[in-house]
Amino acid sequence: MILGIDTGGTNVDAVLVEDGAVVAQAKVPNAGARDSIEAVLSALRRDWTDPPVERVVVATTVVTNAALQDGLPGCTNVLIPGPGLSPERLAYGEVLEVLPGCVDHRGRVTEPLAFDGTPSTPVVAVTSKFAARNASLEHEFRDHVEVEDANLALGSESGADLTFPERAATTVANAKTKPVFAAYHDDLAAALAAAGVDAPVYDLAGDGTMLAEHTLRRTPAHTLRSGVAASTLGLLALTAVEDAVCVDVGGTTTDVARVAGGYPATDRDARLGGLEPAYRGVTSVSLPLGGDTRLAAGTDGPRFTNRREGNAAAFGGEHPTLTDALHVLEAFTDGDVAAASEAIRLLGDGDVVDVARAVVDRYVATVASAVDDLAGSDGCRLVLGGVLGAYLADPLADAAGRIDGWTVPPHAEVAGAVGCAAARVSVEAAVHVDSQRGVLTVSTLGDERESAVEVGRTFTDEAVEAIAVKWAQRAAEAAGGDPADRCEVVAADRFNVVEDRQIAGQIVDVRARVVPGYTPITGAGP
Amino acid sequence: MTSLALVYHEDYLLHEHTPTHPERRERLQYTMDQLEEEGLLDDPAVHVVEPGPATMAQLERVHDPDYLDRLRALSAAGEGRLSVDTYVSEHTWESARLAAGGVIEALEQVVGGDADTAFVMARPGGHHAFADDAHGFCFLNNTAVGLRHALATTDVERILVWDWDAHHGDGTQAIFYDDPQVLVLSTHQSGKTLFPGTGFVDEIGEGAGEGYNVNVPLPRKTGDAAYLEVVERVFEPVTRQYDPDLLFIEAGQDNHFTDPITDLGVTAAGYATLMERAVGMADELDADLVASLAGGYAIEAGLPYTNLAVFAALLGYDTSSIREPTVYGQPPESPSVDDVIASVERTLGDYWSFDR
Repeated sequence: MILGIDTGGTNVDAVLVEDGAVVAQAKVPNAGARDSIEAVLSALRRDWTDPPVERVVVATTVVTNAALQDGLPGCTNVLIPGPGLSPERLAYGEVLEVLPGCVDHRGRVTEPLAFDGTPSTPVVAVTSKFAARNASLEHEFRDHVEVEDANLALGSESGADLTFPERAATTVANAKTKPVFAAYHDDLAAALAAAGVDAPVYDLAGDGTMLAEHTLRRTPAHTLRSGVAASTLGLLALTAVEDAVCVDVGGTTTDVARVAGGYPATDRDARLGGLEPAYRGVTSVSLPLGGDTRLAAGTDGPRFTNRREGNAAAFGGEHPTLTDALHVLEAFTDGDVAAASEAIRLLGDGDVVDVARAVVDRYVATVASAVDDLAGSDGCRLVLGGVLGAYLADPLADAAGRIDGWTVPPHAEVAGAVGCAAARVSVEAAVHVDSQRGVLTVSTLGDERESAVEVGRTFTDEAVEAIAVKWAQRAAEAAGGDPADRCEVVAADRFNVVEDRQIAGQIVDVRARVVPGYTPITGAGP
Repeated sequence: MTSLALVYHEDYLLHEHTPTHPERRERLQYTMDQLEEEGLLDDPAVHVVEPGPATMAQLERVHDPDYLDRLRALSAAGEGRLSVDTYVSEHTWESARLAAGGVIEALEQVVGGDADTAFVMARPGGHHAFADDAHGFCFLNNTAVGLRHALATTDVERILVWDWDAHHGDGTQAIFYDDPQVLVLSTHQSGKTLFPGTGFVDEIGEGAGEGYNVNVPLPRKTGDAAYLEVVERVFEPVTRQYDPDLLFIEAGQDNHFTDPITDLGVTAAGYATLMERAVGMADELDADLVASLAGGYAIEAGLPYTNLAVFAALLGYDTSSIREPTVYGQPPESPSVDDVIASVERTLGDYWSFDR
């Protein structure tokens, strides 16, 4: 049994999935991480031992929200660039400190590290050029600087296939988000312990892949798009569509994302609140309007304020919202229709139904434009999630010019939690072998690994690919994956090293990854 | 923001003289490693452009058909030699055509306005290739093929080639020796001490090209400051007076003080200065600027840093942190180049003014 928990800005959702089917679901208002998680677990009302929970997978917006609300600590960006372009261009974080020391393109230390003094900021990031080929200068810094591991991020642990500027930006993003992410996980652990759930914990990364908690504690900037990744993967898992635009109507935001070729499309533009990690994230737009976004009277009709200020009037709130407009139109009537009608009346003088219709039209026009932007010229299906998704599907599909039909699957209102339960581990590993030096380095998430190879050894193409696949599988296993998952070689290259007119070894660069995927989820459980 | 076309093709790595020859694929590999790690390959100002091979018609603007047939046949046979150190392998013909195509592509990019400047990261090199033969690790004269293409197909009318490779570009000099549309200015280690043994001050061009060939043969160990003196006293005044539409840099990186087959004293920082001066001249004269990698055999201590230096200088980036790691030591003390410059001033004084 898998427990998926989606901690959003408005609600905390949870599902239990057994044999690929949702067997229970719950939704509670977000009133602080620990209390809300305890509440949602108690709402599921389960005996957690029969059958036992095999894993807990969570998506959280805590990192995103802290970044947007300027709630992250100051960071010293320690760079060990050696010769090259000016490090001043990489002024991420609050304080830039450039240290002497050089690792060259072969992974040799060609200038020693020198530093003294203690950084003045709460958290520290250290990034050395070519650390993917030798992380020893970063390790030397870690071993001598007076900063706790919980507040220190290393470039060599940031992941595979990043350039020096990308690693510097990513490492700063990881350092700054480590404390808030750790606090969330401490709350989660306490809530799970209180409920009696004893199972390994995973996080959903912003690209829709799942990674072990200990991996994400070192690289929490991975979670910048985890909310939209969760709902998109959930809607995908519930519908198994090949090509679609997914719209998740939340209380605070509406997330619009693209599924292409049976998996969420991803890009490397997950920049937010001053953080610029180079991690892939689901290609998406997060619009600042949701079911609970406060409405105000504007010069040409009702307008969205782009802020959520409590619940909809229909659910005890003080301000008119899209949720209230849907009550007036008798589309969605789970709350207090009279209160909703009162609130909507504040927005204009005309017939309240006309005002409510204008609210929905304005919402639909904004979202449909985002849908069309992502749909591409060929058009595709629309899949909707969130409590209000079903009530907005028709007008949205009509207004979007590039949409060909819509689907609102069962459990769409907890799509994010379903996405957590459907996720699979995927990790990329980059292997650099320098057999003239006799060294093999593996860069992937977490500790860089270095091991010896026979000096002067040369490789065949098959041997190179086998090395990459082995290390990708090991990395996936370390991140909580199944070692039997399918691996693919992403890139491979090798050439001879010549010394004194003799072939003295080979250099091999190869990358492999566990193929990303998901487990299809059905609505009808036992 | 200056935009730069980086002309590169994976197949530039294929050609091999012999497995241990100094002109080998790591020359580009480590540089590309350095550029990639610096993030320059993702830089929005940099467009990596893949060239196609030069066509036979383009090659025949420079080379004799008989020579082209011979080279193609040697390559098809899979082995052969043009000279004692210049080996032909199965990939040579295609790689060499692709290298010549690289210069054509770079010139089209810049003259056509798609990029502000361009750097051709190609091998094999070309400046020791003549119309009907080649040596010195070269097969086709990439630069000459590119420049003849530009002269034939664009409104470029005057080109100044600054060949700063440590070896004299004997092939390029010969091809343009009587051509006033292409002024070849070469700074190199003197032919008295280095292959190919040519490139003396009195080789000044002939016929209509008389005075349009400038050689500055430098003594061993010539370093950054001495090179700068040559720039200020020879390159800059001649370039100003010639006023080219296009400035082409044959960027040999074998003046580096660690180069194993030459004996000069230039540092990576010195290379940045040379290219910054070239950029300054092109800006001043409103000329297009294109650079192409020539020699350079200090594969680990030199090329990654010298190539980065010229690349960054072309982009107008801060080059003050570009140098070779300290583990490679310091360049030797440089001799004076006053005598050489005085000789150039004397020999070419009828054609160019060197007044200071």
